[in-house]
Amino acid sequence: MTTSSTPSATGGATRWLPPVLLLGAAVALPYSVQRIFLHTAIEKKMGTVQKIFYFHVPLAWIMMALAITCGIAAAVQLRNRSRKAEALSIAAGELVLVTGLGVLLTGPIWGHATWGRAWTWDARQVSTGLLWLVFAAFVLLRRYGAAGSERLAAALAVFGAVDVPIIYYAVKIWKTTHPTTDVVGTLPPQMWAALWPALGALMALTLALLLVRLGQERDAAALDDAWIAFDEGGPEPRAEKGAG
Amino acid sequence: MSVPADAALGGLVLAPRRGRAHATNRAVVFRQAWLLARNDLRQELRDLELVLTAAFFTLVVLVMFALAFAALPAAAQVLAVPGMLWLAVAFVGALTLTRIFDREREADTLRAVLTWPVERVAIYFGKLAVSLLVVVGCGALLMPALALLFPTAGVFFERPLEAIALLVLGCVAYCATGTLFAAGLATASGKNVLLSVILYPLTSPALIFALVSTRALLEGHPQFSTYLGQLAAVDLVVLVLASWLFEPVLVGSQRPHGPSPRARRERARVQAERP
Repeated sequence: MTTSSTPSATGGATRWLPPVLLLGAAVALPYSVQRIFLHTAIEKKMGTVQKIFYFHVPLAWIMMALAITCGIAAAVQLRNRSRKAEALSIAAGELVLVTGLGVLLTGPIWGHATWGRAWTWDARQVSTGLLWLVFAAFVLLRRYGAAGSERLAAALAVFGAVDVPIIYYAVKIWKTTHPTTDVVGTLPPQMWAALWPALGALMALTLALLLVRLGQERDAAALDDAWIAFDEGGPEPRAEKGAG
Repeated sequence: MSVPADAALGGLVLAPRRGRAHATNRAVVFRQAWLLARNDLRQELRDLELVLTAAFFTLVVLVMFALAFAALPAAAQVLAVPGMLWLAVAFVGALTLTRIFDREREADTLRAVLTWPVERVAIYFGKLAVSLLVVVGCGALLMPALALLFPTAGVFFERPLEAIALLVLGCVAYCATGTLFAAGLATASGKNVLLSVILYPLTSPALIFALVSTRALLEGHPQFSTYLGQLAAVDLVVLVLASWLFEPVLVGSQRPHGPSPRARRERARVQAERP
């Protein structure tokens, strides 16, 4: 059984890009920390604790982007039966959990210092928590669902992605104490300059993880295909191997 | 270990129907949905299983609420009553949806229905109508009972039209999502436990809108109609999305069945190697 004869079943980019991205992140992350803590002024009202903003906001952006990616990939999976899209939706869905955990940890720390309470039941906090729960359900369904539930999980991801704009507008619909989205727009240039390296580093890290997970999923799909081909066209069925 | 998508329906090959939905008349879809719903309702009328169990469950939940929150001060009632109403609806809804599709699964009839020359969207709307009828019926039990138990909820009697609109709109959002996922789980051979795992996070935005609107109704908030409009918008989004996803989730998209190109290549290679 030589599946390796088909040259790199999982594509070239998923092989060499993650190490490059991880290397980039390894350089950019310390640089951004130095930049944030040593070369950026301390915010007047909130003090040093505002520094967490440089990690909280990029993580939130990345989580949103991943949730939307997962939803779109799942829609493509449903429409075209694309295995690639399915792999992408799995990888992105799982990373929503990881980045979402980052957002949900950094947010309350910031909130505790600024508002005096870690969790204020503010609409955007709640919606982010709900989005995280939706994707947790997605991962649970992918992992524990019976055969055939991958399409159901895809539908779940599409619903989850549709929740993203609702989350975004939740701030405007319910008037809340969360800093409005304009905060980012009116940032002084110095703070913007410190935000980009952090965003870049976290993006590179997330993208590397996404590609690694994508490669794993596509390897698994290729292995499944190979087993199907082997069972259907192979010389003799070997049950003891297939059962594993 | 993933199994090919086609195996979801036990290897049954369902003919893809590209473009049929565009060609058929909307009236036909409605008629088919009505026929399917009528069939379910007729079956329901014979033993009343769904209606009686759901109503009994509602009653039990109400008794629990009455015992737990008997001496709630008026200010707290405004906050608690919406929660009680929509939690009870969510529980009854999950129960009803599970039961509706369990019934199909026991006799393996969902697969039969899917092979009928019926629009799949009609199946969705037929099931939605039945579950909606049961859940709204339980809501119609809940609202007056809550109004009797908690004086603040007397608004439900004073403004019946608004209360009914609120109940129906909230239940539509819940059942529209629930019908899709309950149907999906029913075809994916078992594990109905996952329905609550999926359903509660997914329907929570709709339930939050319903909660906010209910509180606005209880408080006599001037923005009640705005909230109701937003709830209706959520309904519309959920309905469109769920009816669009129903066919891909239950039978897969219209691309021809069969192994993937890679599997076919691989098989050809294996066959070529054979002596």
